[in-house]
Parts: sequence; C-alpha cells; structure tokens
Amino acid sequence: MNTSTWLIRREFWENRAIWVIPVVFGAMLILAALFGQVSIPKLTTPAEMHEAAGAFQVVVGAMFYVVMSVYATWYLLDCLYADRRDRSILFWKSLPISDAKTVLIKLLVGMILIPLVYFAAADATALMGAFILSIRARASLGSALWQPEAWWDIQVLWMYCIITTAIWYLPIAGWLMLVSAWAKRAVMLWSVLPPLVAYIFERVFFGTHLIGHTLTRRLMGLPAVAFNNAKHVWTQGSAGVDNGSLAIRAWDLINPSGFFTSAETWIGAAVGIVLIVGAIQLRMRRSEI
Amino acid sequence: MAALIEAKDLTKKYGAHVALDRATLNIEAGRIVGLIGPNGAGKTSALRAILGLTNYEGQLTVLGREPFRDRTALMNECCFIADVAVLPSWLRVDQAIDFVAGVHPRFRRDRALGLLAKTQITGKRRMRELSKGMKTQVHLALTMAIDAKLLVLDEPTLGLDILARRAFYDALVNDYMDETRTILITTHQVEEVENLLTDIIFIDRGRIVLDTSLEDVATRFTAVAVTADRLEAARAAKPYYERHILGKVVLYFESVDAGKLAAFGELHTPSVSDLFVAKLSGGAA
Repeated sequence: MNTSTWLIRREFWENRAIWVIPVVFGAMLILAALFGQVSIPKLTTPAEMHEAAGAFQVVVGAMFYVVMSVYATWYLLDCLYADRRDRSILFWKSLPISDAKTVLIKLLVGMILIPLVYFAAADATALMGAFILSIRARASLGSALWQPEAWWDIQVLWMYCIITTAIWYLPIAGWLMLVSAWAKRAVMLWSVLPPLVAYIFERVFFGTHLIGHTLTRRLMGLPAVAFNNAKHVWTQGSAGVDNGSLAIRAWDLINPSGFFTSAETWIGAAVGIVLIVGAIQLRMRRSEI
Repeated sequence: MAALIEAKDLTKKYGAHVALDRATLNIEAGRIVGLIGPNGAGKTSALRAILGLTNYEGQLTVLGREPFRDRTALMNECCFIADVAVLPSWLRVDQAIDFVAGVHPRFRRDRALGLLAKTQITGKRRMRELSKGMKTQVHLALTMAIDAKLLVLDEPTLGLDILARRAFYDALVNDYMDETRTILITTHQVEEVENLLTDIIFIDRGRIVLDTSLEDVATRFTAVAVTADRLEAARAAKPYYERHILGKVVLYFESVDAGKLAAFGELHTPSVSDLFVAKLSGGAA
C-alpha cells in the first residue's frame, strides 16, 4: 500500500463516526420499518409500484444526504484543527509525508469517501427497508417495492449527486479547511463570522447584497444548476401516458450538460482550489497551537 | 567531514519578538549535541527551523537539504520526538506501527516490535489508555526503529517521572546510538543529559553563547576554588564568573593557562551545569 492509502486508513481510524453514524442511522430507519406505524398504500399497477419504489428510495437517500452534509461539514472543519489542538501534528510531521498530500487526502475523504460510505449505507437501508415493508404489506416479494429500474435510477442519482456536490461545494470545503488549518480555537465561530461580518459590512456601507447573494446562491443553488425542474419533469412525464412511464427517470432529472458548462460551477471550483492551496500553505507553517 | 547541520545567521521572528537572532552553528555527524538554554531562549525555534516545521531567515541546511522546502524528503533520513506526549489519543499501538511501517521506507518493524516486547504494552491498547511513561516507550520504539541519520529530541522527558526519564536516556544511548547517527537534544534540565553529550551549544535570548565539544571544555574552561587570601590576585586574572559556596569562592576562567591558575587554589573542570549557570548569568552581568 502506498502513503495515500495509509493516510486514508488513518482518517477512518481516527474518525470512526464516518461509518458509525450512517450505520446507526440506517439501523434506526430499519427499526422504524420493522415496528413503526406505517400505512402502505395499495399498489396495483406496475407504474404505481415503480413510482412508489423510486419515491421510497429517494426519501431514504435524501435523509442520508442531509446527515452526510452535516457530518462532512464538521469533518472538514475539524480535520486540520484536531491534530494541532492535541499536538499530534508533531508526530505526523515527523514522518515523510508532504503537507499537500495530507490536506488533499483529507479533502478526498470529506468530499468523496464520506459521501460514498453514506451512499452505501443508504442503499443497504433502502433495500432492506423495501424488503421489510413489502412483507408487512403482504405484497409478493419483489413486486411491490423492489423495482430494479428504480434502483438503477437511484444509483445514477447518488453518483451524480456526489460528483456535483464535490465540485459545487469545493469553495465551501476549501474555506472550512482554511479555517481548520488557521484558527487557534473556535473553528465553528471562525468559519461563520468572517462571511457574516463581510455581509453586514457590505449591507451597511454599500447598501448592496452581493456577498449575501453569492453565499446564498452557493449554499442553496446546487439543485437549480445541476437538476432540471422536478415539477416540470413530473408534469411532462405523466402527461397522457399511463403505462409505466409515470415515474420520473433519473436521466430526466439530472442536468449534467447544464452543470458542467455553467460558469458558476467552475468559478466556484477555482475559488475552492485557491482556498485549498491556502490551507496547504498554512499547514506547512502552523504546527501546534 | 561535512557538517550534518549548518546554520548561518539563522533568524526567526514572531512579530516584534526575535526568537532566533543570527544564530550560526555547525553540527557534525556522529555527535550527541545538547542545545541548552533557559526557557524562551530560542531552543524550540531553532529545532522547528531545523526540522522544517517553520520558515526562517538566513541559511540553513540539514543533511544537505533546506528543511522548510524539503521537509518530506528530509524526514526520510531524520526523525524527531518533539515532546513525548504527542501521539494521538485515538491511535492504537498496532495501528501506529502499521502506519509508520507503511509510510516510512527506513522503518524496521521487527525492531519496533522487539523494543515493545520488553515493555508491558500490548498492540490493542490506545494511546489514551497508556500512562505518559508508556507513551514515551511507544514513541521511542517507533522512532528508534527508523534507520535515521539524525534524531532530534525537543525536551523529550518533560513531564516524565525520574524512572521514565532514566529509562528513556538509557535506551537512547544503549540501544540506539552508534557512529552513523547524530542526536540533537534540547533541554533546560542540564544535569539530566550532561553525561551523554559529546557537544554542547548554549543559547540565550536567541543567540548562540557557546558552541564547543566536551573535550574542549576541559582545556578551555577551568574552575578554581580560591582561598580568601588569594582572591584579589585571582580576580586580577579576569574570571568571567564568580560563585560563593559555603564560604568558599569559585572563580571560572575561560582560556586562561591552568599552570598560572594552579597558584590560586584547587583546579577542576566545570560541569556542564556549572558552565551553563556561569556562562549565562556571567554573560548577563
């Protein structure tokens, strides 16, 4: 194994929450599916089944995505700060590993590997949940909530979400890592305070909202850039067709050509790269607190 | 032989505070060098610069490399323990060995395991469960299993009890040191290391006050226990420091002919601690 692999393993040793949280969360959802009060509507046509299966997986996936966002944010904010706080940075820096590699591996873990772990957990949970609910609804197994087509859709959606999230939120991740490499204490506060102060400053002294708009757009704008209007797709897809094409297909929802050609996407990514280079420079200069 | 560490006009400033002030020093291979100074003298700043943990002004090469720019490559041949308590609390002993074995080309796992086998520590223990002395043993085992040319220790025994401290230095000298290695130790507890050093460098307020081998100390420095009647005559020979103990006066001379001093009283070579106190308070007076 090479250095990068060992650095990744080290992140999983240190942050067992990476897999403990999704496993526990999934177990809770499965318990709810087993014993919860659920009313399962009668599904008769294949189209209804497909739709219900897809919707079920999307709901499970969305719940995992929300938990993942919160955890990944915390991880990125803590990852360069934790070993400065406990001074273990002096141990890590005694080994022949460059600071750039250390920072980039942590970025990879936060932006790709943690989402992949959540994706696997969401998938397993959704499959088991569907299985349990199918039995509880006394539907014949494999026909109610298990729809291979819907399942493939979810895989496509998740992969697309992971890639677009990683690119779109790169400036946010870069900012969090910069704060993590820089702050002597209160990383949470330092991550929020400067943008907030800049926002208020601009509002008071210039009467404009450029910073506020930019930040809000960055935090909330991913669905608008990376996906087609879901409502639009829904009405188009269901219009006048009644034989199985009722359900929304992933390919109709996602908008890769829009996302990858948007200037917003790449300007943000460029800002993210600058911030990450800054985090690496700080990592080289700052050791323990 | 070319110097292992060469520093010329090494300067490190933190804002207005000058931690290192044009320090110049050379450390040759095969030596055990003590970098000694009071708290806040610039010892740690010097080590941080040597280990590439911080940027600096002036010239500095360690094993032929610029430490700040080439830290990654430097750490292949150099290892350090900057305070023993820095192994992360969540790390297990076996994970630590696996990790270092995985990333360090010069790490010898069998050696680390051999060193740990002499202790009570088992692989599944986490660092947070170990006492400070045990953590030291783990860190020392990890470090001594690396075939490094240069080992740097920064206040390595801070916070350890006397048993752990003694064990630390014994292991260092008996199990680790040989002619291919060089050790640089900083400490403000001089008594603890003076028997194992071959060279001493005194640092005070960011400046190098003394840089000498212990062989030279014997020829260069003389302490004379002077009797009261000869005190004035002895003082005329320009001692750089004077110490009054139990009614006796000890005068410290640098580069004064011993034959001449023998007339004033009993001669001896000052210990490193004596020299340290004499040099630092003498310089301040």
